[in-house]
Amino acid sequence: MPVDTKRIRGPEESQSPLLFLSPDKAPKASSRQGVRGNGDVRPVFARCGLISQAKGSAYLEAGNTKIICSVYGPKETERKDETDMKTGRLVCDFRLAPFSCLKRGAWIQGSEERDMSQTLLESLQPGVCLHRYPRSQIEVNVMVLENDGSILAHAVTCASMALADGGIEMYDVVLGCALRQNGNACLVDPSYSEEFGSWQEGYGENQGCVTVALLPNLNQVSGLNADGEMREDTLADAVRTCMDGCHKLYPAVQQALTRAVKKKAPPPEK
Amino acid sequence: MAAVQVSEAEKVYIMHGVRDDLRLDGRGCEDYRHMEIETDVVSNTDGSAKISLGHTDVLVGIKAEIGKPKPMVPDEGYLEFFVDCSANATPEFEGRGGEELGMGLSNTLYKVFNNRHSVDLRSLCICPGESCWVLYVDVLLLQCDGNLFDAISIAIKAALFNTRIPKVHISEDEEGVKEIVLSDDPYDCMRLNVENVPCIVSLCKIGHRHVVDATLQEKACSVASLLISVTHKGMVTCVRKMGGGSLDPESIFEMTEAGKRVGKALHAPLMELLQKEESLGKKRQKVGFLG
Repeated sequence: MPVDTKRIRGPEESQSPLLFLSPDKAPKASSRQGVRGNGDVRPVFARCGLISQAKGSAYLEAGNTKIICSVYGPKETERKDETDMKTGRLVCDFRLAPFSCLKRGAWIQGSEERDMSQTLLESLQPGVCLHRYPRSQIEVNVMVLENDGSILAHAVTCASMALADGGIEMYDVVLGCALRQNGNACLVDPSYSEEFGSWQEGYGENQGCVTVALLPNLNQVSGLNADGEMREDTLADAVRTCMDGCHKLYPAVQQALTRAVKKKAPPPEK
Repeated sequence: MAAVQVSEAEKVYIMHGVRDDLRLDGRGCEDYRHMEIETDVVSNTDGSAKISLGHTDVLVGIKAEIGKPKPMVPDEGYLEFFVDCSANATPEFEGRGGEELGMGLSNTLYKVFNNRHSVDLRSLCICPGESCWVLYVDVLLLQCDGNLFDAISIAIKAALFNTRIPKVHISEDEEGVKEIVLSDDPYDCMRLNVENVPCIVSLCKIGHRHVVDATLQEKACSVASLLISVTHKGMVTCVRKMGGGSLDPESIFEMTEAGKRVGKALHAPLMELLQKEESLGKKRQKVGFLG
């Protein structure tokens, strides 16, 4: 395992103060209070074209989850041995900032992050017209600034907006939506506390998290990740609910993209 | 993954065959290849199993060690997975070549076992908050001919069934210092209940139909595959879509249903076989490796 030698780490036996949190303070993940219902996604703020150096970039905020993505390319492929001469390559890098979660993470990419990069790549690949960029690679870098739940789903949306902003040819935008199944209740677009809940709940029946990446106009699912233990019919319902959640996000994404295009190439003056 | 080059004409041939429910080796779309399982092959481990599914060979060794439980769950032990792609399988895996594939396989295994019911983690606790059993599950790929996930999950189930964890108890002396004492009898062991351990089924989408247990040639013809892990009761613990293509929602539902059906049917014969093998005891003929 690569060791971080540049930073002075704290003592080996340190424990997070969260362990000493009294149990009644931890919120229950069965139903939601307040304005947002069980089936509602959080309102999304999306803007493109924030990073001037990158070919395309996007910033997405959903509740407290903040994700930024930049796209570089198409550029020449680094690895010439495996290149398929007819299509291009998409390279995805998913990172969590160390201050993004409750517990401080490491700068070095852990196995979770590598796994999420791979899922992100598999979700975005069907949407991009890679055959139009032979012998090239397109780099997508996603950085999560604050983790308040459903980061993979929102990262997929953010990355596809950045690709569209960068002028990369795509068949369709790829939208992501996540869901947390808790017994018989399902919560769409869970926040961090809803996603992880308490460990005691894990002993109940039908617990799990589902993330779906969808191409809305073509109605094709490009990414599916389900965790936990669920019945098969519950899983099918969860996938359908996530697809509905993706459709609900679509107008906001469309608006952000048209706004970015208008800014880059303003309509001609009459 | 070790890939084979398949020409366009071969791809069309395979797709037309699958459409008529006939694959290259004469199987139906939902049939597995010939599978051979043997447990207790490595004597230095606490549990081991070897499986050969067609030309795919996987060896799993489990070692139980005493460790410190995770801070958030002090009354449970845990499992650690590591998949090693041996250079024996293909020359591409030499050095660090197989690391990416190995990491992908281990991450999926963590996801599959990431629930409270697969393995009873509370039974692995020795002293809450202080010590617990950590099961290191090490998977070695000896030969690669497609369908690695299925073979690995069946081998893990067999190895967990075979695992014998020594019985320990805590003794406190006069000063209150706790000590872990191993029982004197070397055959006094704890066995794990593997009823709820899931099996992974990978379904590859070829044309409009899906196939179970794809070989490398069939994998080269498919753009997307769905991995589904099913317990004996039909509960689904992990679903992942793999590959660079997209899937129609209807085909996803069809594939999950087929995967659940195939996965559920896998458990009963497997448990029967494992129990029969165990009941043979010393009279069992050991086949060994690559035999």
